[in-house]
Amino acid sequence: MITIAAVGDVHLDEAMRGQYRERLAGLPDEADALLLAGDLTKHGTVDEGRVVAEEFRDLGVPVIAVLGNHDHHSDAQKEITELMRGEGITVLEGEGTVVDCPGGRLGVAGVKGFGGGFAGKCATEFGERETKDFVRHGREAAEALGEALRGLDADLLVGLTHYAPVKETLTGEPPEIFPFLGNYLLAEALDDSGAALGVHGHAHAGTECGVTAGGVRVRNVALPVLRRPYALYRLDGAGGG
Amino acid sequence: MAEERPQYKVGRLRRALAEDPRTNELGIEVRVRDRDVHLTGEVACEERRRAVVEVARENLPGHEVYDELTVARIDGDTAEERLP
Ligand SMILES: [Fe+2]
Ligand SMILES: [Fe+2]
Repeated sequence: MITIAAVGDVHLDEAMRGQYRERLAGLPDEADALLLAGDLTKHGTVDEGRVVAEEFRDLGVPVIAVLGNHDHHSDAQKEITELMRGEGITVLEGEGTVVDCPGGRLGVAGVKGFGGGFAGKCATEFGERETKDFVRHGREAAEALGEALRGLDADLLVGLTHYAPVKETLTGEPPEIFPFLGNYLLAEALDDSGAALGVHGHAHAGTECGVTAGGVRVRNVALPVLRRPYALYRLDGAGGG
Repeated sequence: MAEERPQYKVGRLRRALAEDPRTNELGIEVRVRDRDVHLTGEVACEERRRAVVEVARENLPGHEVYDELTVARIDGDTAEERLP
């Protein structure tokens, strides 16, 4: 068995330094890895990125992250990524990583993802340049996720995104904004690559549990949804014990 | 000058709460009735709650702003879910 701890949307800033880390002391006894589903900062500043890097360093388990829209708000996503990597945190954007766990090899591929909407009610690459750019960004993110997942050699595959792959986990959010909360192409990428689990954040008012059309479980781990410091998911690594 | 309609006050304040660097809160519900402004939704800490109310008061002067926000709790039990 492999146990994954996951949380997103911690939205840390200077004022919250140390408060969240306090809750993470038990992680090495509980989980094989901690996944961070983006929106780690409030405004995406370099200073907040430093708080994030220091809050999640040396936790005794591998920490694997994607960034969220807030982490892009100040155009400092590269600096934030570097600060986090400097503290040993794996930051994924269209890449994958494999963690050797006692229960098997855990493969995690991650992208921020983007909006675009859900099958039958989604935006299309048609019309104004701005619309096409919006839709293309969502499609390219999903393609990158699928490619990264398929490139992994592991016993258990997890897709980590900030935006939602399904709309079930958005329940509680106003339906009018669903196209800004997720993109069904992310779910298709999970389905097509044999992933066992999709983990996302972003939808603070959503719900935790959902599933893709292909039966892949999806969990919204946004901190306001969880109401606990992190979620723990225990899964069977096919090749593990 | 004609009084701004409540729907537009709501839209303007929600945009301000999202875009003002003191708040950048996207999930605050705003209801305006006459001169009463009700704020509901969840924020991460007391400091952010104060910031939301401050931005609301600045954006809608002459209104009574009611703080019905809640501060998120994250102290729940980390019970594990088994996914077969
Ligand atoms: Fe968020
Ligand atoms: Fe977000």
